Formats: sequence, structure tokens, C-alpha cells
Amino acid sequence: MKKLTFKGGVYPPEGKELARDIPFRDCPPGDELIYPLSQHIGKPAKPVVAKGDRVLAGQRIAEADGFVSAHIFCSVSGRVKALENRPDVFGINVPCIVVENDGLYEKAEGVGVPADCTALTPQEILAKIRDAGIIGAGGAGFPTHVKLAPKNPDAVEFLMANGAECEPYITCDDQLMRTKADEIVAGMELMLRLLPNAQGIIVIEENKPEAIAAVSAACAGKERVRVQVVATKYPQGGERSIISALTGRYLKPGMLPADVGCIVENVGTVRNIYRAVCFNEPVTERTFTVSGDGVKSPCNLIVKTGTPFVKALEAAGGFADGDAPEKLLCGGPMMGISMPGLSAGICKNNNALTVLRRDAVAAAQEKQTACIRCGRCSQVCPLGLVPQMMADAAKKHDYARYEKKLYGLDCIACGCCTFVCPAKRPLMQTFKQTKAEIMAIKRKEAAK
Amino acid sequence: MNQTTQKDAVRTAAKPHMSASPHLRNRLTTGKVMLEVLLSLLPAAVVGVWVNGFHAFLVIAVCMLSSVATEAIFCLVTRKPTTVTDGSAAVTGLLLALCLPASVPLYVPFLGGVFAILVVKCLFGGLGKNFMNPALAARCFLLISFGSVMTRYTVDGVSCATPLADLAAGRPVDIMQAFWGFSNDVIGGSVAGMLIGGIYLWLVGGITLHIPVSVLASFTLFVGLFGGHGFDPAYLFAHLCSGGIVMGAVFMATDPVTSPTNAFGHVVYGCIIGILSGIFRVFGSATDSVSYAIITANLVVPIIDEYCIPRPYGLRSGAQEGKKKGIVLPKEAVILGVITLIAGICLSGVYAVTKEPIARQQQAASLASYQEVCPGADRFDYDDDLSAAVEALDGGVYGTGFGKAYINEVVVGTAGDQIVGYVVSVTSGDGVEGDITLSVGISADGTVTGIAFTELNETPGMGSLCGEPAFKDQFVGVKTDRFDLSGSGLVIDGASEATGTADTASGATGTADTASGATGTADAASGATGTADAATGATTSSDTAKSVTVMTGSSTEIDGVSGATKSSRAVVNAINAALDFFRTYKKGGM
Repeated sequence: MKKLTFKGGVYPPEGKELARDIPFRDCPPGDELIYPLSQHIGKPAKPVVAKGDRVLAGQRIAEADGFVSAHIFCSVSGRVKALENRPDVFGINVPCIVVENDGLYEKAEGVGVPADCTALTPQEILAKIRDAGIIGAGGAGFPTHVKLAPKNPDAVEFLMANGAECEPYITCDDQLMRTKADEIVAGMELMLRLLPNAQGIIVIEENKPEAIAAVSAACAGKERVRVQVVATKYPQGGERSIISALTGRYLKPGMLPADVGCIVENVGTVRNIYRAVCFNEPVTERTFTVSGDGVKSPCNLIVKTGTPFVKALEAAGGFADGDAPEKLLCGGPMMGISMPGLSAGICKNNNALTVLRRDAVAAAQEKQTACIRCGRCSQVCPLGLVPQMMADAAKKHDYARYEKKLYGLDCIACGCCTFVCPAKRPLMQTFKQTKAEIMAIKRKEAAK
Repeated sequence: MNQTTQKDAVRTAAKPHMSASPHLRNRLTTGKVMLEVLLSLLPAAVVGVWVNGFHAFLVIAVCMLSSVATEAIFCLVTRKPTTVTDGSAAVTGLLLALCLPASVPLYVPFLGGVFAILVVKCLFGGLGKNFMNPALAARCFLLISFGSVMTRYTVDGVSCATPLADLAAGRPVDIMQAFWGFSNDVIGGSVAGMLIGGIYLWLVGGITLHIPVSVLASFTLFVGLFGGHGFDPAYLFAHLCSGGIVMGAVFMATDPVTSPTNAFGHVVYGCIIGILSGIFRVFGSATDSVSYAIITANLVVPIIDEYCIPRPYGLRSGAQEGKKKGIVLPKEAVILGVITLIAGICLSGVYAVTKEPIARQQQAASLASYQEVCPGADRFDYDDDLSAAVEALDGGVYGTGFGKAYINEVVVGTAGDQIVGYVVSVTSGDGVEGDITLSVGISADGTVTGIAFTELNETPGMGSLCGEPAFKDQFVGVKTDRFDLSGSGLVIDGASEATGTADTASGATGTADTASGATGTADAASGATGTADAATGATTSSDTAKSVTVMTGSSTEIDGVSGATKSSRAVVNAINAALDFFRTYKKGGM
């Protein structure tokens, strides 16, 4: 099979050998589960339970506020302990629903009951997806029912299931594809019913031969779903990277994938769709990887949403012996968020806890030199931006140039430029700050 | 709050670091980038030391040490954290050393290193802020300041012309010798070494091919179009193997700090360098064409960068249509071709426009020189017989024993209806830096009445001294069949004085003194001064003399300045050719 890829990108050490062959096991959720109301892009959900209420596994505890929003479901049975602010992965206090686990795991009525999905209309499928609170499981957390309802569903040519999993260390999508290939393919077939002219492609990086074999076997005999192997390169799993690798199309600033006839969903999302439509299962658990050189026994877990990160760590045997690790990451090392602690609840779109013994960022800071204008940053940028010039404009606070001439706001924060920079410039940090500053100015202007 | 869980986390992970993603960095550092460049320069440096000997090694060592020390001291004095560990100063030092002649005195690499690092780099803000390639800027500084030692090339103690000088003078160049680096050139003159290093650097990702390829391609195209020899492979390879064009293309032009940051900019910049190098070589002073081309192009890099900001992939044409089938021409190649074509058309236009004025100017210059060498004549006409004789030569080399001498035209100078004398315009193709054309005035009885140069491009301070009155006047008033060049090193006063005005002053004069002390075999009677006049006077009075000895402006064998003897011989040969032609073809009136 021909390998495809995108322009730019980098090759960070994969680190996948740590957990790639460890089968899923269940992660004990502990006594207290924390559900932030904003786990997705869009408006935060509105709580529909009160303190002291008894809740069941699979019960809706917060509902979508508007179209671009998603319901939140309880993953255990127990009692609502509090509606209060708790630290999220950044360490910032955000509104959460806290549930005390009674250890019974009593399911709400109808959850997990097989349903006949052969006769469903596209609208009914979409409604079921929305009712299950499905959001993009890969990271960004975009509500799936919004993504699957483009302006013109007939114009969508490609429906891509994203199994690239390019982020180092993370292996839960790999395991999912190995073990639940038929559910992923079934999910694809369901989604294709919404998109009559699309072909379904399950995209897998070549470093996952077992997953490629399993999914290919599941696709056998399917007319509209096939596997496409892509080169192992970061950020191959980025939405835009996948689209350009497969179709050669590049999105203009402000464009959505559907504008170039593509829809990309994470393989975990696809499986969630299948479970939601055919088994009435809302999103109450997810696949999760605990890995990194600071973890005693890296593993892949099935984690109930709301489980604090520390429970996932405990399920992986705790920290490795020796010095305390320097970095705790929600997600992988390229795009993950560095966490001040492990008390936050795992959300629907959190796929990993990566614990690193050494902080490469601090080490790099000591080796920082002036920019030597080598241009490596723009060579690796998957969008074709010029990070070196962006950093220059940001330093001078020339926001007009940053935004209009250098298209700095298009940056997808993949971090390739920062990874590759020999001068060890903190480019990504500059860009995140600058973006925040520009957005703040825009909000101020809009408020006037 | 669940205090126990939080405490657990805090107990094990004492205080996790917080930072923006990404949390990984690759191993490449500025220091490693510089180390790779140093490694890639190694082959050329090794060949340079092997061919040129231990002194070349000293030049390299002094250059690198002075560069690194200058930066260290600068950081110390300005109380900045030391930056020498990034290795960029060492790279600058090595690059500079590789573009110096091996025979330079050690103060030259020392001063070069100081200038490159202090003036060009540190004073403009250090690494990444210099607007010119420090090594090349320093080389140009040294060329201006120490012209003589910077252009003296010796192999085994014998000074000789560089392949580039040979090329400019139309002499054959041993391409293979130049390619491997065995000809007399700068220390890093080994094209093979540079190419090996360049390929290594490309493989490790230190450079992309855009700049080297566009420099070499546009340069080759330019030289092929305008070099006057067409696309003769021998000629093109001779150009490519000499004058540091490969070193410039691979190592100097690709210096990331002073080149554009993206591929399209690289191609534009590379073409500018290639075409400028070509212009300087073909139309200007051949030496150092590449150095000047690169530092000139360095100056326009900010403009290139500003106008060549790449558009995000999504905004490029056809981005939303996806992959196209069929042959896609590499965009850069097309752009390169177009730029070279436009430059070519422009230059042809300039040539066409200036051709007539230049021809007119040359005519006027000829007329003025005729009047100079044939005083008393008020008009010059063609003589049918003599012109027919010139035609008969068909532009070929005249006679034998005159080197490459060509008779251009012969005119008769008259005052009223009285023939005053004849003027023969003759060109010698044996000049060091190109053709030498002169007008020789001859009276009806065969006495030389004057000589004047209409084309003399000889090396300033050396061959150019042939144009000085002290040299020229030796011929005036002499009636002889043949002038001979003194080979013994008898130095005449006039030429010494002329040398004294040139920048090689002290060296040349010093050796001249020694020389005059050592002579005596040629003319024991004559003193160091007034020799020429005495000699000339003596021969003039004696009609029987068949040969007159003429002294050179300066003598190579003694002071080691090459070219002057060659120039003098070319002039004397040309004059002899003119006299011979006159004697052979002039009928009557004798």
C-alpha cells in the first residue's frame, strides 16, 4: 500500500514501545468523580442535577447549552456531592459536578440495550449522536453532531477515521483499533449513511502494523470503507495534515474540513458513535494511556470519565522509582498540557497521562541562543507559516503583521517549529501568548 | 476538596514543571549546527594544508583562534554571557582562512579574524544579527588593506597566476588540478573538497540545495551566454573550478544568518549571486567576483525576505483542488530560468545600446593616440597598399617571433601634402589581464616617433607601468630593426620611481635596490640612475646598431611580482611587429 503524507512535520522519538502491546484493563475510578461542565469546544453544559441527588451510570447530569455544546453523563452510580469549582488540567478552578461513587455501578434505564439501527434516518442517527454527548475524542473535543451536519452533506467526498495517533507515547487508539476494529468499521458505515457521496477511509500510521492488519480484516468485503496507511510523522494525526496527506488539499484560513469535502473523526469517536447508535450508550468511559519514563508500568486503560488523573496513575503502578518526575502531562509530550497536580477529572477528550522524568524544556532553555535564521521552523511547519518571522513580529508587538501578513492566528500549535529549533527558542510559548493577546484585543474591540 | 488524593500527587511529584507545549526538543543545537559546518569544511581544509604545507595550517589556526578570542573578549568586556560555545566564531574563522592565500603573513589572518568577529558580527549585535557574511566581509577588508599579499599566490615558492587569472587572460586552465585543489589558489581552493563537504552538509540537513544550485546554474548560464566562449564545457568547467565559486555557492552564500529564510527567497538570492558573479567575472575585475557578489546579495536579503514571505499552503493556488496529475515543473527551476532570461535580455540590450557610443569613443581614442605618436600631422589617411597588406593578414597573428601580435590598421599622417609619418595600430594578445593595443608612430626613415596605448588593462602597479612615460619614452627617437628586453634585471630610474607610486612600494623598491647592486653585467659603465637615457642616447647615435635593449618596468625574477615581465615583453613584441610590418610593406618614400 502506498504511504501518503503531508508537507513539513518532524520525527520526535515515538516512545510507543512502552505501552503499545499492553491490553486495556479497567481503571478503578475511586470514590470521587469530577465532571467539568466544559469538556468540549462551545458553550459549557448546564447542570441538570442538584447537590444530594442520586445519579446512575449513564445518566445525563448536564445538558448541552445550544447547538455547539454537548451533554455530560455520569459514569458511576452515587450521589451528587457538590456543584463547585475544582482545578482543571491547567490548575485553574472551573465549575464541576462532583459525584460520590457508591461502588454499585448501577446503570440508568436503557443504557447498553441493543437497538435496531438499520432503519434509522440520518436525522435520527444525528439525534442519537447528540443525545450521547459525543465529542471529538482525539483532543480538541468538537461536538460530533455539529461536525457531521455540514451545510451540504452531499458534497462530502471523504469521511476519514483518524487512527494516525502521531503523538509520542500514546497508544490507546492503537489498542482500540486492534481490539475493536469491527466496531470502528460499523461506526464508519453508520456515519456514511449521513454522507451519501463520501468514501470512508480509516487512516493509520505505518508504525501500527497490528492495527492495520486488524482494521483491514474488518474492512474486508465492505464497499465504502477502506484502510489507508500513512507515513509515521508528527503531526500526521492533525486534521489538516490528514486531509492534505490523503487528498493534497489544503485549507484556507478560516475554512472547515467540510469546505474541501472532508470530515475527519478520531477512531475513538467513531466507535463511540457505534456504541451510542446501536447500544444507546452515552460517553461515560474512554480509552486512555498512562505512559512516559516516569511511570512504573505504562499501560492502556479503560477509564470512566470524571476519574481523577491520580487514579489512572495508580492503575499504572504509580511513579517510577527514583527522583520525582519533572513533568506531568495531560496528553502527549508534543501538544499535551503540563499539569500542576493530578487531581483534575479526566474528560471525554483527554486521552493520556504522560509522566516525564526530565523536563526537556528547562534543559533547552540553558542552551538557548539567538535565532540563526536557519529556516528549519518554516520547513517543518505543516501549514507553511514562517515561525521565525512570526516570533519577530510578536516580539515587536506588531499584531497587524502577525495576523494579516504572516497568518499567525492560523497556527495549530503543533509545536514542530519549537521541537526542531536549534537555537532552542520558545516559539510556541510566544505564539500562544500572542494569540491570547490578539484575541483579548479583539474581544475588547467587539465589546465597544 | 479531596485532600488525600491531592496530597498523594504532591508527595510523589514534588513540584512539576509548568511550560507551554511542546515538551520535547530535538537534539540539534546551534553548537551542533556549527560543528556540522566545521566538519563539512574539513576535506577542503585538509587538501589545502596538504598542498600548501604547514604555513597553511598556521593560517587556519591563527584565523580560528583570533576569531574565537575576539568574541570571548568582546563578551567579557561588554559583560555578556560568553557565546563562543555556540561555535559560530570558529566557523567564521575557518571559512575566512579557507579563502586566504596560503602564503599570507600571519598578521593577515589575525586581523581578518578580529575584523570579521568584532566589526561585522559583534558590533551589529552578535550571532544572527550580522547583515553580511563576516568571513567574506573580512576577506574584502583584507583585500583592500593588504592587496599585495592577498593576491600573491605561490606554489613551492614560485609565484604564479591563479587559475582565474589564467582564465581571464585567455590561457588554458588545468581543470582537473583546479578541481582537486592542486593549483595555486586560496587554501580552500579544492573544489572536490568543497563538494564533498557540501554533500555532507546537505545530507545532515545543514543546507538545502536551493542556494548552491541556483548560484551555480545561473552563473554557468550567464558565463555561457556572455563569456564569449559559448557553452564550451572546458571553458565553463574552468570557470566553475576557479575563483571560489563553488566555495561561495556551497558555504558562503548558504550562511543562514545572511541568506533568506525560505526556499523561494533562496532561489532569488542564489540567482542574484550567480548573475552578479558572472557580471563581475566577464565584464569586471575577475578576481573576487564571488566575494563581492555574495556580500552585495547579503545586503538585499532583508528585501528578498520581505517580498518572498511564503503564503500558507492553504492560500496557494489550487490548494483546495488537491493533487494534480501529470508532470509538474519544479517552480523554482522555472523562476530561475525566467530571471536569468530577463537578465540576459537586459544585458544584451545594454550591449546593443552602448555598442555604437563605445565604438565612437574607441575611434576618438585612436585618433588622439595617432596625433600623440605622430606629432606634426594634421590628418591621417589610409594608404591603399598598406591597408591591402593589413587586409591580407586577415586578422591573424603577424609574423613569427612577436608572440601573439595583430596588426589592426596603418595610417599615413600628413601635414598639408607632406607625409610626416606613419602610425601602426598593433595589438598583443599576450597581456596578463587581456589584450594590449597600442599605436606606434614611425617616421618615414623608420625611427620610432612615439607610442601610445589605446587598450592597457594590466595589473595595477605592475604591468600597468608599461604605460608610464619612463617606459614608453625609451622607444622614442630610436631607429632600429628590433628592440630587446633586458632580462638581467637592470633597473632604470624611471620605472623605479613609477613603482614607488604604486602600493607595492616598499617591497618593489627594496628589491630594486638590491638588484641594481647586483647588476653590472649588462652595462657596467652606467650607474643606477640615468642608465636608460645613456643607453638610448648611445644607440640612437649609432645607426649601425641593429638591436636596442629596453628595460622593463620591474622585474619578476627579483621582486616576485608576476606579470610585469610578461606585459613588457608583450609591448616590445608588439612594437617590433609594427616595425617589421612597416619595413616589409612600405614601398617607396624611404
